[in-house]
Amino acid sequence: MVEEKQILTKNMRDSKYSGDLKAYKNAGGFNALDTVIRKMKPEQVLELVKASDLRGRGGAGFPTGVKWSFMPKDTGKPSYLICNADESEPGTFKDHLIMMRDPHLFLEGMIIGCYTIDCNTGYIYIRGESQTAIAIMEKAIGELYKDKLLGQNVMGSKYSLDLYVHPGAGAYICGEETALLDSLEGKRGQPRIKPPFPAVSGYNSCPTSVNNVETLACLPYIINEGPEAWKAMGTPNNSGTHMVCISGHVEKPGVYEVEMGVSLLEMINDLAGGVRNGKKLKAVIPGGASANILKADEADVPYEFDALMKAGTMMGSAAVIVFDEDTDMVEVASRTIRFFNHESCGQCTPCREGTFWLKNMIRDFLDNAGDEAKMQRVERVSANLIGTTICPFGDATGGPMGTFIGKFPEDFRKHFA
Amino acid sequence: MVGFSNSVIKEVDELFSRYPVKVHALLPLLHLAQRVNDGWLPSGWDAYVADLCDTTVNHVRGVITFYNMFHTKPVGRHHIMVCTCLPCGLCDGDKLLTHLEERLGLHPGQTSADGLFSLEEAQCLAACDKAPLMMVNDKLHENLTLEQVDNWIEQARKKK
Repeated sequence: MVEEKQILTKNMRDSKYSGDLKAYKNAGGFNALDTVIRKMKPEQVLELVKASDLRGRGGAGFPTGVKWSFMPKDTGKPSYLICNADESEPGTFKDHLIMMRDPHLFLEGMIIGCYTIDCNTGYIYIRGESQTAIAIMEKAIGELYKDKLLGQNVMGSKYSLDLYVHPGAGAYICGEETALLDSLEGKRGQPRIKPPFPAVSGYNSCPTSVNNVETLACLPYIINEGPEAWKAMGTPNNSGTHMVCISGHVEKPGVYEVEMGVSLLEMINDLAGGVRNGKKLKAVIPGGASANILKADEADVPYEFDALMKAGTMMGSAAVIVFDEDTDMVEVASRTIRFFNHESCGQCTPCREGTFWLKNMIRDFLDNAGDEAKMQRVERVSANLIGTTICPFGDATGGPMGTFIGKFPEDFRKHFA
Repeated sequence: MVGFSNSVIKEVDELFSRYPVKVHALLPLLHLAQRVNDGWLPSGWDAYVADLCDTTVNHVRGVITFYNMFHTKPVGRHHIMVCTCLPCGLCDGDKLLTHLEERLGLHPGQTSADGLFSLEEAQCLAACDKAPLMMVNDKLHENLTLEQVDNWIEQARKKK
């Protein structure tokens, strides 16, 4: 039986919790920052985060401490911490929940992160559609300036920090960190060629770390309770708890906080109430539209970075999308490719052209004009997208599109002419 | 009239103070320009904003056409975005869109003749657990039934 944990969601699960600074402080908030500012040097915080094995919750799962250790020092340039709060992966809605319900938990984590990499200006990149989240974050930041937790001399120390919210304007690709940086610089959001990596040359050509909202929200707990307490949850190399978004054909869609490594299938059944209307499970996408689909008999897999990678898919931003037995995978493929075609930035030919032609080919199946040759063509074009583009968008399209046909050929054959 | 009023110019200066380079404020500036122009960017504003942040009008046009949220044609007083992306599509997002198309007599991308409504098919709006849903201007309407949508349309027409 999978049970919910309340590490990150402790405050927000209390319906009376207002989320303002006073409420956050009453719940023990800003103790971690107090410890960091008064008793620790940035290097000590970095060692502690490294020791916790915390991995980024935005999709790639890269160890946060290691990422920060790549930031060069004494370059004579300012360092930046940019929070990626774009959250546009279909199926993902956890970062919004954090910002809406417990903004100061995330901000405390962000200030700790900024202190660790010696950054005096940070930006929070929030998708433009989320005016409500933007307003809540602006208000919360205002509270922190008033309380001397931001601005000159944070908590009376020598450390100074300014945080700003930057609104996006509706482009999925801006969730890719280098596209986000271009967007933050007032450009079209098109991914950059790496290297140089953002740690060396990121925002405004300065050392930059881009971190996800939930990743930063984990820091207060790790500081307060220590890295061992964090590692006591989850599995080796997949430490701690995380917030999982479950949507699609389930009885109780929503965000659930669990330890890393619980069974994906049990999570769907025990927490989200199982497949809705008593139907059987057909398939599940474990990590947003970019992740390869799992058949029902593959779904009893530990929900963590490494085990899902081994299973040929990924945890991504922890977006679990559930499909019941009546789902037509041609329909699913069609929606997926329409999304990716709409959101391709147009920079690389395989992606710009591939997503367009895949969309048209899948439409043939929807019109019941498919055949065996067209199935093979979809698989071939999907494979051509993998590894051939500047950013992971090509893989994120080609992988899932190939798997829909590879794992559910019978669904496509039902649409033959 | 193209150009921000004196009261809004203060906000522009505050925006510039946030970034090391003026042009980095371009996205928030374009949002601001849309706010004072009923949600869209009339002709001339691209050049005006380009001038404000020391860049070229072509750069600004490139940015405007890249992002979904910038409109170069008028939008309705109620700009309705309906998500039909994967998770919403599994939970009747399409039915909601079709229903709105029928009731408003509009297809995605169109604005009603009276300027009251415009309709857009949206990509993921990050509220997949509350499907089907629509976003009207800044506000999310979640877990919608078709009756609720009809009521909402009726109210919006009355308030006109």
